[in-house]
Order: sequence, then C-alpha cells, then structure tokens
Amino acid sequence: MKRFMKVVRAEARKQFKNKIHNIWVVFSMLIWPVLAFAAAYFQFKPFAFEAITEKVSYLNDESIMTYLMIGYFAMVFFRSFVQSAWEFSSERIYGTLELIYLSPANRIAVILGNAIASLLINVWMFVLFMTGIYVLFNHVPLMNVPVLVLALIMMVLMSILWGMLLNALFLFTRDSGMLFTVLEEPMELFAGVKIPVELFPLWAKGIGLAFPLTYVIRLLREVVFLGRSLLEVSSLFYTCIFICTIMFVATVFILKWGEKHNAITGDMALF
Amino acid sequence: MFIKSIKATFIRDWITQLRAYPMHFFIGNVLTVFYTVLGAFFMYHLLFQGHLKESFEVYTGTTDYMTYVIIGSLAYALVVRTLLNVSRSLVTELRQGTLESLMLAPFSRLGYFIGNMLQQMITSLGEVFLSMIFCFIFGLSLSSINGVTFVVSLVITLYAYFGLSLCLGAVMLYTRDTYISQNTLFLFIFLVSGVIFPVEYLPQSLNIIGACLPVRDSIFALRAAVMNGVSIESLYTTYVRLFLLGTGYFIVGYSAIRKIERIALEKIFG
Repeated sequence: MKRFMKVVRAEARKQFKNKIHNIWVVFSMLIWPVLAFAAAYFQFKPFAFEAITEKVSYLNDESIMTYLMIGYFAMVFFRSFVQSAWEFSSERIYGTLELIYLSPANRIAVILGNAIASLLINVWMFVLFMTGIYVLFNHVPLMNVPVLVLALIMMVLMSILWGMLLNALFLFTRDSGMLFTVLEEPMELFAGVKIPVELFPLWAKGIGLAFPLTYVIRLLREVVFLGRSLLEVSSLFYTCIFICTIMFVATVFILKWGEKHNAITGDMALF
Repeated sequence: MFIKSIKATFIRDWITQLRAYPMHFFIGNVLTVFYTVLGAFFMYHLLFQGHLKESFEVYTGTTDYMTYVIIGSLAYALVVRTLLNVSRSLVTELRQGTLESLMLAPFSRLGYFIGNMLQQMITSLGEVFLSMIFCFIFGLSLSSINGVTFVVSLVITLYAYFGLSLCLGAVMLYTRDTYISQNTLFLFIFLVSGVIFPVEYLPQSLNIIGACLPVRDSIFALRAAVMNGVSIESLYTTYVRLFLLGTGYFIVGYSAIRKIERIALEKIFG
C-alpha cells in the first residue's frame, strides 16, 4: 500500500508539473464549458415551461438555471477525465510509456495518480464559477445537505473511475482522436445534461445508460429538486456502486491485456 | 498568375483531401450537425411537446422550430468548415514544413486563399447536402424556399465567412495554435449568432459583440430565403451589412497575414 501511494503521488506530481503552466486548461475547462452552458441556458428560452409541469415537475423558468448547472457541473468532471486520458496517450508519442512499463510501478497507481492530478488541475475553476453562479442565481432551496454531499462524493468517485477506464483504453490505441469524437458530443446529449433521460425513446435511453454520467446527473437532480432521502435514492446509489465496480474491474483487465498485447507485438511506441 | 494560383491550390488541396486526410473532419462535422439537431428535436418534441413561448414567434416570425434550428445548424456547420480549412491552411503548411517552399514560389496570396476556399466550399456543401438527408427526417421544410434569394444569400454568406477566416488564420499563424483559437471562436459564434435560439433572448452586451460577426446576419438571410421565401430586395440592408463586414474582416485579415508571414518564417525553427 505504501508503494502504491508512492506511485500515485509521483504520477500526480509529474502531471502537476507538466500541466500547471499550461494555459489551454483555462480554455478547455473553464471558458468552453461556460460558453456551452450559456448557450444551453438560452436554448431553453423559447420554450413554455407551463406545458410540462406534470411531466417534469421541477422544471420551470426559475429552476432551469440550477437544473442545467447540475448537468454541466457533473459533465465537466467527467470531461476533464476524457481530456486527461487523451493527454495521457501522448506518453506513447513522447516515448515515456515504455519507461512506465519497464518500471515496477503499479499500473493502476499510475493512472490513478494521473486522474487525481487532472481532477485537481482541471475542475477547480469550473467549480468556482459554478459556485458563483449558484450564489447569484439559485432559486432552489437546498434540502437534505448530507445526502447531497454523499451524491457529490459519488460523482467524484465515478468520474475518477471513468477517467481510469479511459486511460486504460487509450493505452490500446494511438487513434485517440476517434474516442474523443465518440465521447464528447454524444455524452452531452445522451447522458441527459440538458434533457432528462427518462423522456428519451428506448434506443436513446439505451445509449444513455452506457454513460456513468447519466446516473450521476439523475442522482444529483433527484436529491436537489425532489429532496429525496437516502433511503429513497438508495437503489440509485447501489447502481452507481455497481457501475464503479464494473469500471474498476474492466480497468484492471484492460490494463493487463493491453500490456500483454504490447509486449507480444513489441511496438509500444509505434503502434 | 492569379488564376494559376487558384487552380494549383484547388487541385493540390483536392488531392490532399482525398489522400491524406481520410474522412475525419468530414464525418466529425456531419455528426456535429446531427447531434445539435437531434438535441433540439428531443427538446422540442419529447420535453416540451411543441409548446413554444409566444415570444419565439414574435422574434422569428415563425412557429416552425425544427426548420429554424436546422438551418441555423447547417449554416453553423458551414462557418465551422470554412474556418477550419481556410484559416488553418497556412499554419498547416507551417506544420507540414511546406511553408518555406511555398513562400519561395512567386504565387499570388489571394489566389492561394481563394483556391483554398473554393475547394473547401465543395466539401462543405457536400457535407451540408449529406446532413440534409437526416434533417428532412427531423422536420426540415423547404416548401416556401425562394431559390434565387437563397443562392444570393449563400454566395454573400461564403464571402463574409471567407473574410472572417482570414482574420482567424492570422491569429493562428501568429500563435501557432489552432485548437484553442478555433474552438473558442466556434463556441462563441454558437452562443451569439442565433444558431438555435433567437438572439433577442441574449443580454445586450453579447448582442453588440454578436452583431460584429457576420454569422448572425448570414443565418438571418439564409433563414429568410428558405423559410419565408422573401425577395432579394427585402434583404438588401442585410446583404450590405454582410458585404461590409466581410470586406472589413478580409482587409484586416489579409494585411495581418502578410505581416505575420514574415514573423512565422523567422520563427520557423523556434
């Protein structure tokens, strides 16, 4: 365990040193999400909320800002890990991936360190922005804060595991741009960042269920808007924990498999 | 010389498009339209079941939300595509290592960019037509289109986008970055240009900046041509504004590029 933590710390520190001066994080993790968030807010403006009160009871002119905030807040967490995984694949291009594989460092520890670093570097700005927006515009009184805190912890946990899974996947292929195309826009649409997944047709629901973000957003919205107690959302919590387990097992498996694959083909840097 | 440059660039870009960059941007751009339109479709039909505020009709003069959004999305795809190709052309040369040899050749800069533009116009119009296939499924209606107005609007639109793309190209060549500048501009255009919602909902300050970009007027003109079938005369002021904006951006962008070219060449190894 001590060695494990050492690797996590070392990798996190490395990423920190690598990225902290990088101005583009400001754009990808603050300015772009803010612009997208604003566009989503105004996209709702032409619609009459009175018509849907029986369908989505909590959605109205006042709550829409908070509603979208939850979606984008959670999405930025997950997206930050898509991005960190994408950057991790540059280890292959720099030729440092081989060095990692040659060292006795625990692979899980390496990608966990990577994920934690990106959590710290990437999302704090957006968290600040969201807090500001919340203080200024929120019309939804906060109910049962302890459950909300639990839900937020679940969000962070799930997004970290999501990041680790992606990291493991990216080690497989050089063509990481493709995964980016698949994960960016569809995640925003199908995970219910703007539109509740419950209203989707079956096929779209199916796609949505594949994204862990879907469950997190649902959990957060149920807690914030409907004031659900821990007991009422316990099944959602269990689902989340179940997905976390699957993601973790998959990560371990993919990492082992990928390393074996690379060892056989022997073209770690070039493949 | 001028025509020769256009032709040469056109042919070269065409070959590059076919051989070096397999469908990546092409598919990416069509998918962006798809997701935007699908998102709007879900929102309109599933969430709100067609219930629009009255203000939407007041601002836009229509209740056909889907056609409104689809035309906006297609125009947005067009501007993204133009900016992606024309703006990136010189910085791509720099990255490929061909900028030096290009600058040694006695070519017409303007011809180069126009050739570039013409080539990308064909690809992006191809994308737009491909996208239209699923747009019809989502409810695009062309029943009241005025063909002549549409073509004139499209030509002036492309002219204005061309000017804007030269400005972005200058920024890209100077900063040697494409990712940050292009994505920031795209998202900003998406927010302020009335792509999927009327700009009247935006706060005043954003509207002032939005009016300085040609995208808003171009989308207005294209919508008017397709949805209301208006005559050319009624869009006269919009056309003049688009033309002036396009020319303004063109002059600024073109002269900036001429200056930055030299800096870029000096920094080629640094």
